[in-house]
Amino acid sequence: MLKSSKIEKQFSILRTVFSISLALIIAFILIYTVSDNPFKDFSTLLFGPLKNTSRIITVISKTIPLLFTGVAVSLIYSAGQINIAAEGAFFSGCIAATCVAIIPNIPPIIHIPLCLLAGFIVGSIVMGIPGIMHVKYDVVTIVSSLMINYVALYGGLYIILNPLRDGKAGFEASLPFSLNAILPKLFNEERIHLGLIIGILVVIIGVVLLFKTPFGYEIRTVGQNAKFAKLSGIKTDKVIILTSLLAGGIAGIGGSVEILGNYNRFVYPGFTNHGWDGIMIAVFCRNNPKSVPFAALFLAYIKTAADSLNLTSSIPIEIVSIIQAVIIIFIAAERLLAGLEHKKIVEASKNNLKLEEVK
Amino acid sequence: MSNFEIDKIQIGEDLLVMKNITKIYSNGFVANKNVNFSIKKGEIHGLVGENGAGKTTLMKVLFGQENLDDGEILYCNQPLQIKNPLVALEKGIGMVHQHFMLVESLSVAENMVLGKEPKKGILYDKKEAIKMTEEVSKLYNLKVDPNVLVRDLSIGYKQRVEILKMLLHGAKVLLLDEPTAVLTPQETEELFKQLKELKNKGFSIVFISHKLNEVKEICDRITVLRSGESKITTDVKDLSEDDISKLIVGKDVELNIVKNDKKINDVVLSVRNLSYKNKFGLYDFHNLNFDVCGGEILGVAGVEGNGQSELANVIAGILKQSGGDIKINGESSINFDIRTLREKGVSIVHEDRMIYGACKTMSIEQNIVSDRYYKQEYCDKGLIDWKKVRKDSENLIKEYSVKCDGASADIKTLSGGNIQKVVAAREFSNNPKLLIASHPTRGIDIGAADLIRRKMLNLRDNGTATLLFSADLTELISLSDSIIVMYEGNIVAYFESTTNLTETMLGEYMLGIKKQSDEEIGGVLHC
Repeated sequence: MLKSSKIEKQFSILRTVFSISLALIIAFILIYTVSDNPFKDFSTLLFGPLKNTSRIITVISKTIPLLFTGVAVSLIYSAGQINIAAEGAFFSGCIAATCVAIIPNIPPIIHIPLCLLAGFIVGSIVMGIPGIMHVKYDVVTIVSSLMINYVALYGGLYIILNPLRDGKAGFEASLPFSLNAILPKLFNEERIHLGLIIGILVVIIGVVLLFKTPFGYEIRTVGQNAKFAKLSGIKTDKVIILTSLLAGGIAGIGGSVEILGNYNRFVYPGFTNHGWDGIMIAVFCRNNPKSVPFAALFLAYIKTAADSLNLTSSIPIEIVSIIQAVIIIFIAAERLLAGLEHKKIVEASKNNLKLEEVK
Repeated sequence: MSNFEIDKIQIGEDLLVMKNITKIYSNGFVANKNVNFSIKKGEIHGLVGENGAGKTTLMKVLFGQENLDDGEILYCNQPLQIKNPLVALEKGIGMVHQHFMLVESLSVAENMVLGKEPKKGILYDKKEAIKMTEEVSKLYNLKVDPNVLVRDLSIGYKQRVEILKMLLHGAKVLLLDEPTAVLTPQETEELFKQLKELKNKGFSIVFISHKLNEVKEICDRITVLRSGESKITTDVKDLSEDDISKLIVGKDVELNIVKNDKKINDVVLSVRNLSYKNKFGLYDFHNLNFDVCGGEILGVAGVEGNGQSELANVIAGILKQSGGDIKINGESSINFDIRTLREKGVSIVHEDRMIYGACKTMSIEQNIVSDRYYKQEYCDKGLIDWKKVRKDSENLIKEYSVKCDGASADIKTLSGGNIQKVVAAREFSNNPKLLIASHPTRGIDIGAADLIRRKMLNLRDNGTATLLFSADLTELISLSDSIIVMYEGNIVAYFESTTNLTETMLGEYMLGIKKQSDEEIGGVLHC
């Protein structure tokens, strides 16, 4: 039976390779039909992000927020909750950080943690509400969490565009942040900031929490069989609520980090899509935070490639978005090659039988 | 289409032959290897073997629910590929599953015609459905009322509906997967009468059972499966029950349970005026009173659906009582959550093994620590000591002889009996003061059942109070020190000793034919 788990592993690698190739073939066909110079454009899609350091930095910069939302969604999905409020939690994390960041004259050593704390708390509330409503009133989480995103979005925009609006800015934006609240840059790069380190820490904490602590065991048990968890003595309601709060908090910090690392005032006109991307990452990773950095890098890479394709070619932006979507859909295809996998396992088991008979 | 001419096959000739059947599941588990099996026209053929021996898989292959990986099936001497149950039904092969495949909210007639609904234009023809049901009911002398809803039926009745449904769909070969597991002795007798009648009409029946006396009583031939291989096919009359059990296990097994004298301690579980009202506002049980002492096994008998599973769930803290009190070691437990109950020494073997008992997508070790992972012995500085978990789990795996690929193997790769061993390993290894065991050996093989029974008796000898729910009356009588019988949510009988008790005696109370006086029933109170 160990042999079959080996085959399963081999196939999960094979499946990834196969689906990426398949996606690329389709991408090539799409490019071929619309492009004047398909081979150049295809190579931009493949290797564009590696072309110069600036683009590599873009990839890393795009990875940072995805670390937070990826871990957040992995945690809440591990608890079996289809809670998709990460988007709203991330956005409200941006808002909360903004509210604190515009306060002048707080020393940076206090100001930055204060901003992140605000992001954590508000993110917790946004993601926690659907969790609590599910536990207390049996509300369907996917609906309530979808809706809470809009509450977070428009509530947040109201705050930014009314009490916090900077009338002198000349465009829709908040008052500028105190310089003390802006995250320090790393490696002298404008777009790489302290958030990278915090993000990596969050990934490590996520892994340890989920697989090494009693609470993590509770999360996974509740997620896989809540009735079993309950009869074992686990307080399933408490676990669901705490996990919602924690995941929302992580997404909220992600929002704070993103806004304080890249901007000097709040500028988003709407959703940033980092929360939705987090869902995608959690699916790629099968809810294991350990794989989040790789999935986040991969997603950031594809997005950068699509951007550079858009900039350097005549391909319409719509087609670029379609190519991006096709690649992601194929990666998420879990049952690709399942038939072949079954055949291989059957063969291996038969050989095993023969070996046993020889013995 | 119908080049399979069943009528040309004479009674006693091979109707269906399975040759060298191999079935391997996607996790690499070999459920059947080179199994040979045949069914004659007009015979009842017993299929016996331990759990995980591959009986159900073989039948699922025959019914088209699983596709075979190797081998061939001959039907009326012609090769037949059964890709799905529709093909099987069309050719006259019908299966009655261990867990009934009926839609509870539909009427008997609607269930009967499902998949073959009579139509008037594009609409469903209700009258015709009722007529079809009545006709087939009369033809085979199996009485059913076409208009009642399936959810209002007893287990035995539901089974009759299932069998009749297969007959309505034209089944000539009936595959019955443990049909008697949930029946009372009286219902079983009734079923056997019906099966024999069908046999005389030229039907072929495959009968899967763990109950050897039944196999002996009703089957003409048996095939023994062991570890996915067919060991022998032979006439039943040549074998004794002992012979069969030896063939099944492959070694001698002592079926008799040796019980030490009971050493009764103080009352552990005390139930007073306990009632439970379900969501429809009806009482599933009402004003129950009984005590269980340390060192005693109190058996609860009853036909399924007479309040026993609700009682078990209320005491285990899954359901909330609607009235009355439960005391555990003198302390009222009705407001305890399950964690507190467990910390007070309550262990629970739930009847629903795959939902409440075990988590099939987790490993054996993760299943074993589910009630103790947070305790100091397994937690070091806030982190779970998975090495210690592994070590302890492996010890338990050895002690309970769980057949597996190590403590990290997923529960879903184990057979039913071995899963139950894992559940027992967890629930029995924390020195319980009170054990609530619901159907601890249901549907599992002789070897595993034997081990679990022994372990339960060990606990009893060490002072555990046990409340045992079981539909297997032989087991209930041989394990329990005393027995109460539940009927329609009330206790209708109390037997202080089980020495001279027979299954038939229990059956009379279980079916509500007899009822003891309140005084006799009151004997179950010890304080």
